[in-house]
Amino acid sequence: MHSEIVEFLNAEVSGCNAVYNAAEVGDSSITIASTHIKSACIALKNSSKFNMNVLQCITATDYIEEDEIELSYILASFIENTELILKVRVPRGDGVTLSVVDSVCDVWKSANYLERECYDMMGVKFEGHPDHRRILCPDDWQGWPLRKDYVVQEKYLDMTVNPPEKINQADIELFAKMRLDLEDPTLVTGSWKDDHAWIDQDLTAKAAGRLAEFKAAKKAKADAEKAKASSEEKGE
Amino acid sequence: MDIKNQEKLHTDLLTMNMGPQHPATHGVLRVEIKTDSEIIAEAIPHLGYLHRCKEKHSENLDYRGIIPYTDRMDYLAAMNMEHGYCLAIEKMLGTEVPKRAEYIRVMMAEMQRIASHLMFFGTYAIDLGAFSPFLYAFQDREFILRIFEELSGARLLYNYIWVGGVWNDINDSQLKRIEKFMVELEENVKKYHSLVGENAIFIGRTANVGVLTKDQVYDYGATGPMLRGSGIDWDLRKTRPYSIYEEFDFNTVVGVGAKGTVGDCWDRYYVRVFEIFESIKIVRQCLDGIEEGPIMGKVPKVLKVPKGEIYLRTECPRGELGYHIISDGTKTPYRVKVKSSCFTHVSMLGEMAPGQMIADFVATIGSIDIVLGEVDR
Repeated sequence: MHSEIVEFLNAEVSGCNAVYNAAEVGDSSITIASTHIKSACIALKNSSKFNMNVLQCITATDYIEEDEIELSYILASFIENTELILKVRVPRGDGVTLSVVDSVCDVWKSANYLERECYDMMGVKFEGHPDHRRILCPDDWQGWPLRKDYVVQEKYLDMTVNPPEKINQADIELFAKMRLDLEDPTLVTGSWKDDHAWIDQDLTAKAAGRLAEFKAAKKAKADAEKAKASSEEKGE
Repeated sequence: MDIKNQEKLHTDLLTMNMGPQHPATHGVLRVEIKTDSEIIAEAIPHLGYLHRCKEKHSENLDYRGIIPYTDRMDYLAAMNMEHGYCLAIEKMLGTEVPKRAEYIRVMMAEMQRIASHLMFFGTYAIDLGAFSPFLYAFQDREFILRIFEELSGARLLYNYIWVGGVWNDINDSQLKRIEKFMVELEENVKKYHSLVGENAIFIGRTANVGVLTKDQVYDYGATGPMLRGSGIDWDLRKTRPYSIYEEFDFNTVVGVGAKGTVGDCWDRYYVRVFEIFESIKIVRQCLDGIEEGPIMGKVPKVLKVPKGEIYLRTECPRGELGYHIISDGTKTPYRVKVKSSCFTHVSMLGEMAPGQMIADFVATIGSIDIVLGEVDR
């Protein structure tokens, strides 16, 4: 199927340079020139042979070593029951000046949100997009999170979003203190009394037994301490 | 009151925020609506309140470590999320999964689908002002969650389906209980449908509301019950069978516009509720066909997926889920992209809302059955 599509695209869209990337494992794909993505999508959607009537998703991948970002348009035909990965590559840019690709919102409306997500996460601009904003991050967020060299900004508005210490030490200390203070958690919550008899019929009995054990142990400990204290008094 | 010079009177659309803490939004979705009294003129969904960077996290984890993260995306259909991910990795590795594990997986996926649709049934009734169906639905959902708890140790986020098989074996007593429960469930769901689905008030609230035509659903890339509700016979389990679904005999439920137009809210409700019966059929066939054997295939200790990429879609309760995994041959994936069905469905709200009453808009959001964890990832 792929080689047919390559022939079709080269004939229909002049200058798109469609190349077939055969894969040994997984899925094969077709790479075309980024300037011709819209005309290629229109051709594939309108062709009576391929009928690519649904745009499933757009994946943006950052290839930092090659200094390029790859956009994979995953098209599917719900009539012919096929799917196709169509790829374009654009220069990565430095994060300030962004690459521009033609928007395919006029071809499929589902492209609207998908392109916004690409812009938000990877920093690729889409020309002709009706509502070109960030979608998952706030509008005034800095940077492109899914790029490989992304570093989180330290402060967003007045909130610290990237603290120098990643673990909150106060929490750990609080839990350590709680474990010292409350030796037996069952005495605090009462939630151990499980009425899910379907798991284990004897569970409630076991739990009750465990509580008695705990109480006995505690009493023994207290008694020992008392005895010790009294013996110390006698000794004096 | 007599107002002279009415044409000079200033009128404007009223902008309101619906959400993020609105009970009818099933999570944290904010919809900015512009209304002319009760009629909505424009609706703009704002996403991202539950964005947890799962795709970024996945780039720093090994292939097995991602499975719990897939659970947390669509937390009402965690088994289906795991199933799709494991299938994609196994296809790249070329692993053969034992027959017993395949049966257990399909059975779990279908039971999860039942649980998810029951959840939809309950919450949709709440959206429309009926409280008791929610309690009925949760009674039945409880049994499924208990079986999952016995198998995996967790009630919501399981990490049960692993690459190569499943984590824990199912025993005969559990199989017997499932068989017994399926009989109960079938009767119960029939009863619930006659209580809610055939109710005149319910029909009045949902029929001819939020109609989606065939062209619209293709244009927006809608999948799952949204697609089938609009009268398109498309179910990945039938049309592109994965796992062992080609062995089972079941039907695709398609909306026919029984109470109004094809593609209205009632049709989507109908598709979901009647899919429960089809899932019951599949679970029964699993119970008949399950055989003794191992539950884990041969998988290397350190998973190194060969260089390449894969896009694999599976049918989840809410629609098609696709994993686009790009591997560079190391222990961690280079890129994991999750194609979530709800994300595309939310984009349709802007198209469905104009001209609706606010109460109808609530019914429309409910009929999409969104899980914001999957939308924002």
